[in-house]
Amino acid sequence: MVTVEYESVKKAYGETIAIEDIDLEVDDGEFTILLGPSGCGKTTTLRCLAGLTEPTSGTITLDGHDVTNVHPKNRNIAMVFQNFALYPHMTVRENIGYPLKVADVGKEERENRIEQVAETLEIPELLDRDIANLSGGQQQRVALGRAIIRRPAVFLMDEPLANLDAKLKISMRSRIKVLQREMDITTLYVTHDQEEAMSLGDKLVVMDKGHIQQIGTPDEVYHQPVNQFVAGFIGSPSMNFVEVSHSDGQIQAENAPEDFDVTLDDAVVKRYSGTDEMTLGVRPQYFSIHTEETANAVEAEVEVTEPQGDEQIVEVAAGDVSLTVVAPSTIDTTRGDTVWLTLEDELVHGFDPETGDRIGDPEEMVATTRASSSAGSQS
Amino acid sequence: MTTKQDTSVDAMPYTEPSGLEKIHERLTETGLTKAGVYGALALFLVWTLFPVYWLVTATLKTRETLLSFPPQWIPLDAQFGNYARLFAERPEFVTFITNSVIVTVVTTIVATTIGAMAAYAFVTFDYPYNLDFHLPFYILSTRFMPPIVTIIPLFVIFRGFGLVNTLRGLILVYTMFNIPFAVWMMKGFFEEVPESLIESAMIDGHTHLGAFFKIVLPLVKPGLIASAIFTTIITWNELLFAVILAQSSQAITVPVGLASFVTKFSVQWINMSVAATIALAPVLLFAFMARQQLVRGFSMGAVGK
Ligand SMILES: Nc1ncnc2c1ncn2[C@@H]1O[C@H](COP(=O)(O)OP(=O)(O)OP(=O)(O)O)[C@@H](O)[C@H]1O
Ligand SMILES: [Mg+2]
Repeated sequence: MVTVEYESVKKAYGETIAIEDIDLEVDDGEFTILLGPSGCGKTTTLRCLAGLTEPTSGTITLDGHDVTNVHPKNRNIAMVFQNFALYPHMTVRENIGYPLKVADVGKEERENRIEQVAETLEIPELLDRDIANLSGGQQQRVALGRAIIRRPAVFLMDEPLANLDAKLKISMRSRIKVLQREMDITTLYVTHDQEEAMSLGDKLVVMDKGHIQQIGTPDEVYHQPVNQFVAGFIGSPSMNFVEVSHSDGQIQAENAPEDFDVTLDDAVVKRYSGTDEMTLGVRPQYFSIHTEETANAVEAEVEVTEPQGDEQIVEVAAGDVSLTVVAPSTIDTTRGDTVWLTLEDELVHGFDPETGDRIGDPEEMVATTRASSSAGSQS
Repeated sequence: MTTKQDTSVDAMPYTEPSGLEKIHERLTETGLTKAGVYGALALFLVWTLFPVYWLVTATLKTRETLLSFPPQWIPLDAQFGNYARLFAERPEFVTFITNSVIVTVVTTIVATTIGAMAAYAFVTFDYPYNLDFHLPFYILSTRFMPPIVTIIPLFVIFRGFGLVNTLRGLILVYTMFNIPFAVWMMKGFFEEVPESLIESAMIDGHTHLGAFFKIVLPLVKPGLIASAIFTTIITWNELLFAVILAQSSQAITVPVGLASFVTKFSVQWINMSVAATIALAPVLLFAFMARQQLVRGFSMGAVGK
């Protein structure tokens, strides 16, 4: 049983605040993902737990023990570094076995466990090779091996897949997930890739500018983003945001009131009663594209289409408003065509233009999204 | 109506080689470039190695054959007895060699150790007032002035502390003079060791000190060896300070001993050549044995890509 808890952790480098107000609980065996754009403080958050960075204030506890000022070697933690940090003067075998060697585990047992780990990671043939001439993917597995050989209490990984090619990334991703499930070890995993985060995590911690924006399951952060940042960061292609005015369910884009003028469903309108200006958020998947004039639709001109196999990404312009739409590839349209877009009303979001917070009761939101959404699976 | 874009390519699809490039190509084709390079190298070798050859052959000649003209290029009847004669005529030379060995070994160990430790501290830790940046520069700046400038004050200070004519005194001076080099050399090496390796070692269970000895030191070994060899060579050959600070025979080193063959009345060529050859041998041998590490050390690259 190992739980991790951050309590109002802050780290400042002189004037620069790397992270602030970090409150986070990770349950035993949970796979938690720290997700956010470059420089948002993910690595700093992870390093505080590893003991490599000392927080300016706040406490970090492991199973209720305050470890804020404990030396890394005395925390039973394993870490996979972004650059792998393999020891260049040792062979693969020595690298994987090193934590056991430091812990004075006998040679025989050490060898057994090295073999075992190498089997798990399918690298037994690499054991006696030098580190220097391994490929990126091989180095990644060795780094993983060095981390799991010790059965740590907590597993930390800092963008371990960042410099692998797309295919290898996906296969290593599932390998890591299986390993984590089998070993049942509490894990904190850093990435800036939202797709990787969605596919791996039990829990996503979305960060921006040193602050946690939202903590939730992949489903929650996707369907119920608490603010415009989370909504825009999660999902691919990114959510469309349109500044709109609203009165009695009628929505008009401020830049293009003629072209972007739709009426929302009554059930949805309730959420926005009392708001007359907001930022409307619509995922590219939540537009339906029509090639003939359609009622209650946004009229737009096609700028460019990007075929993606079964789907295509269509960039359109409604007056001065640019929108991204994901459409089935069966829709035949090219640059210059006029198209009509209808909205899936229940799935749109409204955000406060000043604060970026989502408008509307989250509970109600959950009910409507659950009822209508087919995207994402509930665990 | 938009204006039609000019779609022609900016320049020729390829560039004609210049006159010089053409000449170079022709020379390479005919093998002349290669011949030129080897010729220059051969000249350079003769230029650097001939004095050594002349010195070593001189130890096997008599005074007459040494000074004869035209010169005797190859010693015809080798006088190996010259070596025995040096120690017979100048038995104190054994003391000089012992002195030099002691001074060089101690200086090398102390200067390299202190230099490496200082360099590691400068690279790893942050000091207030940006000292980790300023101090290494200050240390280097101690070598900016000609060494002779410091000799008079040093002599006065050394006399006050009873360090004149002692090996301790020489070791102190040489250590001081070699530390800047060791610090800067090692700084380059430590900077190349990624910090994440040390952090990784600490997560694997090491203390910081443990990580330094087990992970960092093995990686900077070429640097340590290179700076040790360099310190050895400089110390073994040093004449200026030794002449001034160590005049009585209990502290005289080999270079000072060599200089003593030049007297007011004559130069003992043969004895001097023998002594110089003996002085040269250990440094050459040492450098030759460690040449691989030395080259790696001076071309940097601790972590070896
Ligand atoms: N040692 C340091 N000294 C000064 N500032 C630092 C230091 N380490 C991090 N920072 C700053 O703290 C902020 C957060 O950095 P951090 O490395 O945690 O970001 P990150 O989310 O991991 O980014 P990335 O995805 O690029 O790795 C950044 O603004 C960074 O410049
Ligand atoms: Mg990072």
